[in-house]
Amino acid sequence: MISWPVYRLTLRSILDGRKALAMVVLALVPVVAAIVFAAAGEIDPRIFWARLLQRLVIPTVTAFIAVVLGAGALGDEREDGTILYLASTPLPRRTLVMTKILAAWTVSMALLVPAVVIAGVISLGDRLEASQILWPLLGVALSALCYCAVSSWLSLATRRPVVVGALYILLWEGSIATFAASADRFSIAAYGRALAVEGVVDVNAPDASALTAVLVLAGAIVVAVWAATRRFSRTELP
Amino acid sequence: MSAAPALSFEGVSRWYGDTVALADVSFELGPGVTGLLGHNGAGKSTALKLCAGFTQPSSGAVRVLGTDLAASPDAYRRIGIAHDRDALWPFMTARDLVALCARLRGVTDPAAAAVRALAEVGLEDAADRKVKGFSHGMRQRVKLAQALAHDPELLLLDEPLNGLDPAQRRGVVALIQRLGEEGRTVLVSSHVLHEVERMAPRVLVLVNGHLVASGSTAAIRGLIADRPRSIRLEATEGRALARELVGAGLVESVRFDDGAIVVESSDVERLGRDLAGLARGVGARLRRVEPVGDDLESVYAYLHQRARGVGR
Repeated sequence: MISWPVYRLTLRSILDGRKALAMVVLALVPVVAAIVFAAAGEIDPRIFWARLLQRLVIPTVTAFIAVVLGAGALGDEREDGTILYLASTPLPRRTLVMTKILAAWTVSMALLVPAVVIAGVISLGDRLEASQILWPLLGVALSALCYCAVSSWLSLATRRPVVVGALYILLWEGSIATFAASADRFSIAAYGRALAVEGVVDVNAPDASALTAVLVLAGAIVVAVWAATRRFSRTELP
Repeated sequence: MSAAPALSFEGVSRWYGDTVALADVSFELGPGVTGLLGHNGAGKSTALKLCAGFTQPSSGAVRVLGTDLAASPDAYRRIGIAHDRDALWPFMTARDLVALCARLRGVTDPAAAAVRALAEVGLEDAADRKVKGFSHGMRQRVKLAQALAHDPELLLLDEPLNGLDPAQRRGVVALIQRLGEEGRTVLVSSHVLHEVERMAPRVLVLVNGHLVASGSTAAIRGLIADRPRSIRLEATEGRALARELVGAGLVESVRFDDGAIVVESSDVERLGRDLAGLARGVGARLRRVEPVGDDLESVYAYLHQRARGVGR
């Protein structure tokens, strides 16, 4: 299912590039926002925390980090031509796809988990409860995995996976889905948000129940892995 | 051959939209080195990609080690591939890179395999340097090492001599010859005939996607040598010399071009032997003798024409 040598190779490959540094900066944004809020402190910390998660952490920070890393994990090898060394091994294409997604997700989480925990602790201060950190972490983890899987499919289906992924995030999730409610059903961020604010009581209504969110995200991940594998077997390698 | 051929193409065509990259190509390869000769864009890379399972034929069947690679990727344990793409993970040392490739292809002791393969290509001294700083020639040899490391039966080498200096070329040519003598099936592409001649006793010649000739390299060399060729002569007493050349039956045609004589001959060797004597006979002084259009393009064009002429 997973090839650990390829997994380690991919981690090194991501950490070797300048891309990882840019992602660290992106992950710091919610922390900075939390510090600014803690200094000003105009509203209920729980409401601030819920808004931070719903409007920044999930739809922007998580989405971009996971899409950029997910698209690069396979896409960069395809672009460079090194994918040929991986393709000429007995490893099934599905194993390669899943390994690449897992590696991209690992790095995403290495950046996002500390960012969410630190931002949460700073925002909530003495009102901190474990569930107010754990639910957001679950939302971030699952939506990041979904973004990684979809963008790794994009990296095999198009030549510009990051551009397509960014357009999806900005146009669909960030714009259309905000006024056309039904569009939200096809938005990864909506389900991530639903999970993230589950533990943060009586603030903005969640977009879906926690169970629905988990099921939809899991389903989307499976479909994306299947589509990426199929695409990998059919496209001509460079 | 008793066993199934290591590699077989059966009526294989590959087209991209309206462009035909490979047209109805059939051949079978057994042990030993075979050259795949053709100019750039003749379909060599497409043919090798099909062999390597990186793309599927539009029609026909490619069988590698008796199987279809798409259905049984396990056969990759027995295939070594050096691509024409200059791609290597820049952050790895040569040793790590070759060991990783060996490991992914099921070698039990990848570290030892890497040492062996890097020694084969003469890179043992650079084994622990990152490939980021490698010259083109060194990268070529790393690619070759990763193709060898798992001791494959079938090797597909795309232009392995590109970017090598003469000494490295000799080393790699000797290595490829040895691989063939060990009973491996080696398909090596090149656009330079004399390179192929040195490595491969057999050759396949592709022109515009068609397999126009296949057989022993010496026979193909002969075929190419026998074709009529144009020679441009610059000499004093040009008209007298031309008359003599035609009279002696050394040339088929003569035309004058800006003071020079352009002759066409199907026996260039004889022309070369007798030209000086004839010139002396008519008191002409040869200033310059050079072949016209003797580049590979025209060689391929000739082979292509000839193949069509005999109905292949």
